[in-house]
Amino acid sequence: MDMLAVKYFAVKWSMGVILILAYAFLYMPIVHILFASLSSHPNFPYPPEFNPASYVRLTTNTIYQSAFVNSLIIATCTSILATVMGLLATVGVLRFGGKRALLYAIFFAGPLFVSEILLGISSMSLYYLVFELQGNMVTAVIANSVHCFSFCFLIMAAMLYKYDWRMNEAAIVCGATPIRAFIEVMLPLTWSGILGSLIVAFVLSLNGLDISFYLLGATPTMPSVAWGALRYGVKPELYALSSIINIAVFVAIIGLYFKVRAQPSAAG
Amino acid sequence: MADSINQMNRRLFLHIPTAFLILFFVLPLIALVILSFWQTENYKIVRDWTTMNYVTLATETAYITFFVRSLVMAVLVSICLVLLSWPIAYFIVRYGGRYRLIFSLLLAVPFLSGEVLRLIALQGMLGPAGLINGALMRVGAAPLRFIMYSNSATFIAFVYLYLPITVTAIYLSLLNFDLRLASAASACGAGRVRVFLEIIWPLNLSGTIVGFLLCFIPTLSASLAPRFLGGPNGTLYGMSMAQQFGESGTWALGAAMGVVLVLFSIAALVILSLGVNLRRSGFTGLGRQ
Repeated sequence: MDMLAVKYFAVKWSMGVILILAYAFLYMPIVHILFASLSSHPNFPYPPEFNPASYVRLTTNTIYQSAFVNSLIIATCTSILATVMGLLATVGVLRFGGKRALLYAIFFAGPLFVSEILLGISSMSLYYLVFELQGNMVTAVIANSVHCFSFCFLIMAAMLYKYDWRMNEAAIVCGATPIRAFIEVMLPLTWSGILGSLIVAFVLSLNGLDISFYLLGATPTMPSVAWGALRYGVKPELYALSSIINIAVFVAIIGLYFKVRAQPSAAG
Repeated sequence: MADSINQMNRRLFLHIPTAFLILFFVLPLIALVILSFWQTENYKIVRDWTTMNYVTLATETAYITFFVRSLVMAVLVSICLVLLSWPIAYFIVRYGGRYRLIFSLLLAVPFLSGEVLRLIALQGMLGPAGLINGALMRVGAAPLRFIMYSNSATFIAFVYLYLPITVTAIYLSLLNFDLRLASAASACGAGRVRVFLEIIWPLNLSGTIVGFLLCFIPTLSASLAPRFLGGPNGTLYGMSMAQQFGESGTWALGAAMGVVLVLFSIAALVILSLGVNLRRSGFTGLGRQ
């Protein structure tokens, strides 16, 4: 019996050690470039110091600023379009899917199984080479939305999976229009899923290089400026930029965590 | 009356996203196939039907080498990731308790910070002056050559890039798995290994395969990681494809390479899903009341 307990303990904690090593592996580079961005010698920033010079240079760099604005526009439009489409798809599959629900769900998850670069190249083939359209923000937003759509669909489907649709019907029976039932009954109960989908689509399209790169041509976005800088030697400004983005993502995720935790699962 | 409203709703909710995907996802892929049968001469598209692009891809040794290298890389990375992700996901589900959510959200932070920025971060670790080699040189040791601009650096980069998504796929599968089934098997006298092999593994096989594919497919067509970390002998198929659309301007050949990648992705999807019996792997439909 004692032998079994020891074995159980060993199996449990060897898995725990792998988990800790994996998280360290995931976060070590992120912490490393945070130190590098704050150091006066970015190649080997140990011991850490606090020197905001690279952040000051970043704020005065106009290329990064216009790239930031472009990325922000793309990310905002993409997150809204992808979430609206994803919500329609989720409600459609979960509520009206019937026997074909699984078929639709597989189709809606399809873009997940085509890599970003292929999505970018195939969209470019369609717009530039077949229709001879110049690259613009609209095509970039649409192509990014296709990529984010599957993530949005899966996130909201996971959150709405246990939603009781009779609540909408009850509201409609009581005289509410379907839109009012959505806003006053469904939205308050399911907004964490919708918010999660908005955040994920926003961040994915903010940071994705491949899709925007092939659809925008010369218009700079943050990842494409970062990629350009990478090829001609990494500068501390780039470390500062990526640290800012990492911290923003971290704050958004932690905020989402506390919101989800504070709200007892009303959908269930 | 109620029936016709239901019909209308159904049409709206399912048909709008379906039309969206057909227009902007299926149609571009068809355009890619058409383009792959055309030709490019002097940076211009020549609309003559030809299979020359595919002949080039099948006969030139460089492209065959790139493809085999990509395929081997993708298989190795995916197997390594599945082996690594299983204990992590299992630990979170089994012992995470009320920290489950925070563990799974912490995986999302590196995933969401974007491929380019993560490669920059990784370069800060692996490069000639990065953390590992910098530290080694500080203490007077020789730097590790194999992690600088080599295929092993690319391998590490892929593991780093796709670890979060593989763990998440297996985690979600295990989360929906009823651990009491494993307890029941134990109570009936099965050993730990047998419980794992006969209950836990087969019932989570579909989630594992999704995790496998979600790293296999992007690795097969990756272009950024090998270009930046792969060094002189690290050219992968996706990187070569990106170059056809960039520097060399031979779009039709690049499109043919894209078609090859899509076909191999679909083949991997089909082969792996044939191995899964949905009912056996715990799939119970979409569970509506």
